[in-house]
Amino acid sequence: MKRLLLWFTVLAFTSTSFAQSQRKPPAGFKRKANEKQNSFLDKQWWIGLKVGPNLTKASPETRYSILTPTNYALPLTDKKYDGFSKIGSQATLEITFNYKGIGISFQPTYRLSRFTYTNEFMWDNPENAIEMLELKYDHELKIDYADLPLIIKYDFAGNTLKPYVQAGIFYSMLINANKTVDITGTDFASGGTNVLSSEPVIVGAKDLFHKSYWGIMAGTGLHYNLGNVRLVLDMSYRIGMSNITNTKNRFSNDRLSGIGDAMDDMKTDNVVISIGCLFPMRFLSTSFKSIDR
Amino acid sequence: MNKLLLILFALLVTSCANESDPEADKANFVRIYDSNRYNTSYNPIDMKQTADGGYLFLASRRLDESNFQGIYIMKVDEFGAFVTEELVDEQYVNPVGELLFLNDTYYFFCMTAVGLQTQLVEVGNDGTLGNIYNVGGSYPTAAAIDGSNFILLGYDNTAKESVVAIVSPNGNVIQATGFSVGAGDAVEEPIINHFLRTGRQFPFQVGRAASGQYFFNGFYNYTFSLVFTDLAGSLAVVQGQQDDGGISRVVQVNGSTFASARFNFGDNYFLPNVSLNTSGISSSSDLGGFSLPELVDNAPVHILVSRINEKEVILYASNTKSGQIGLYAYELSTGKFLGSKYLGFSNPYEINSMINTSDEGLAIGATTYVTGRFPRITLFKLSTEELSQIF
Repeated sequence: MKRLLLWFTVLAFTSTSFAQSQRKPPAGFKRKANEKQNSFLDKQWWIGLKVGPNLTKASPETRYSILTPTNYALPLTDKKYDGFSKIGSQATLEITFNYKGIGISFQPTYRLSRFTYTNEFMWDNPENAIEMLELKYDHELKIDYADLPLIIKYDFAGNTLKPYVQAGIFYSMLINANKTVDITGTDFASGGTNVLSSEPVIVGAKDLFHKSYWGIMAGTGLHYNLGNVRLVLDMSYRIGMSNITNTKNRFSNDRLSGIGDAMDDMKTDNVVISIGCLFPMRFLSTSFKSIDR
Repeated sequence: MNKLLLILFALLVTSCANESDPEADKANFVRIYDSNRYNTSYNPIDMKQTADGGYLFLASRRLDESNFQGIYIMKVDEFGAFVTEELVDEQYVNPVGELLFLNDTYYFFCMTAVGLQTQLVEVGNDGTLGNIYNVGGSYPTAAAIDGSNFILLGYDNTAKESVVAIVSPNGNVIQATGFSVGAGDAVEEPIINHFLRTGRQFPFQVGRAASGQYFFNGFYNYTFSLVFTDLAGSLAVVQGQQDDGGISRVVQVNGSTFASARFNFGDNYFLPNVSLNTSGISSSSDLGGFSLPELVDNAPVHILVSRINEKEVILYASNTKSGQIGLYAYELSTGKFLGSKYLGFSNPYEINSMINTSDEGLAIGATTYVTGRFPRITLFKLSTEELSQIF
């Protein structure tokens, strides 16, 4: 069986080499051959790597809080989310099949997303002004996802510089998550203005997130053809369509429960920017610029 | 091809489906009930699940103008969301558990701030205060239901007696029997310090065994003892070591078999399957038991018969030195250890009550110290699934 496979490999290799060797075509054959070649070059496979930063915005759907007020308004316990404030990063393997300017692209991505929110609480005594404590909890979440996007791309006309637009769906699988909580505050009851600061609480938070979510995406970009390779600048906006919080484990982390934190139900949006380099999978030679056809 | 894509898309969406689930939200949560007043403190005493699925808390609160603790009642819904609170007038102090459910009404005992007369207070399912009946007697310490009446354990500081009384729902004392704590001020001192919360909190308890015997865990004959009595002279005593040793909690399993816990000079022991002498004199220090060095000295212990994984179990809950609440499960029939779980982190937590819930889960009422300084009521709700995974 192995020997048979070896024979097939050798045969395929020699036949390809033979087909691509320089031969003098018969008269009248050149035009036909060019047409055939153009039609052939309408299709192209591209493969390459992209890396870049991303920004995340979390949008709470249903709010949850462990600290439940009995004498002040519940919305005062709401978390304040900072949208698109922390830079994450991603690395993408892009595999695109292009036909006459329309491409279908599969872009598995390893993505680190970061977002933050804060809680602020105050305890005081109206009858004794110095009895007051203010605390602020700064939460930062770092979540690693494996994204599996399926994208349709359309290349606009152009030669060296080709803009494109894209749209698609993605499925994201949770890989890991961590949470850091910084607690700072001011205690006025200790006899002075006592600024409080403690070591951050860092906890593994994978159980707090659902194992996957999905979303839709759209974006634009630029291809810059450089010899046989294609440099790419890609920008997309991803809209999460399902809740990323694990509803069953919301209260499961004792360390976070202890400081009064429970995850809201939320969806996340991402701005993803990547630069990279794509290689054509057909006619990759120094003498033939397939990308220019 | 289109159908295949449609199926793939449907699979993708359903695999990510993770929307809010009200049933899950009811089954599993943690709530800390916070007041933003710097100088308030609340300590739950008992908690019951009401017919609407919510929870009713009886708690004590700090009073600026009294040596005794004031009374606080709080109602929360089935999700643990705050519904209402009642700060009972400061003329009533020293609330005592349990919250007693009889004739669709909740009751608890307390006493007047002036005169120290025992009172019986009605509370509706919605947490509203009802009638308050004067019972007489003084210093109530523990209560339980006895058929259509209540059993009350109190301390008579004039006669220096632990008093077991049968009280009707309208506050009439049907029967009362006193048990001398011993002569002299020395024996009374820890009792008064208990009430003023300036000393150790003793695990007072009262109830009725299946045999018809009444029992109380309190001071008798210079010693913190578990006393079985028919209230007519017959006595059996499981003696402690003055106020340094004794029974922390007792729940009858069947006949003379009990699930119990004891303390001895700070150490704590669990006895999930122990035979107690209910007709003679014995000593709690001879009972042995599983030593639990992780618990705080002379720890308060709560014991509950429950059902987890289709198995009858005895659950113990107590306070650990690390500021957590330790939950320990033992097989009811054999006393075999099944597993443990620790609740809470960061801020210290202290157990106050533990009940089975209508969804076969568990609810635990506790005190936590928010930011390490403000005592606040906490409710842990554990689902049956979570309990099954632990035990």
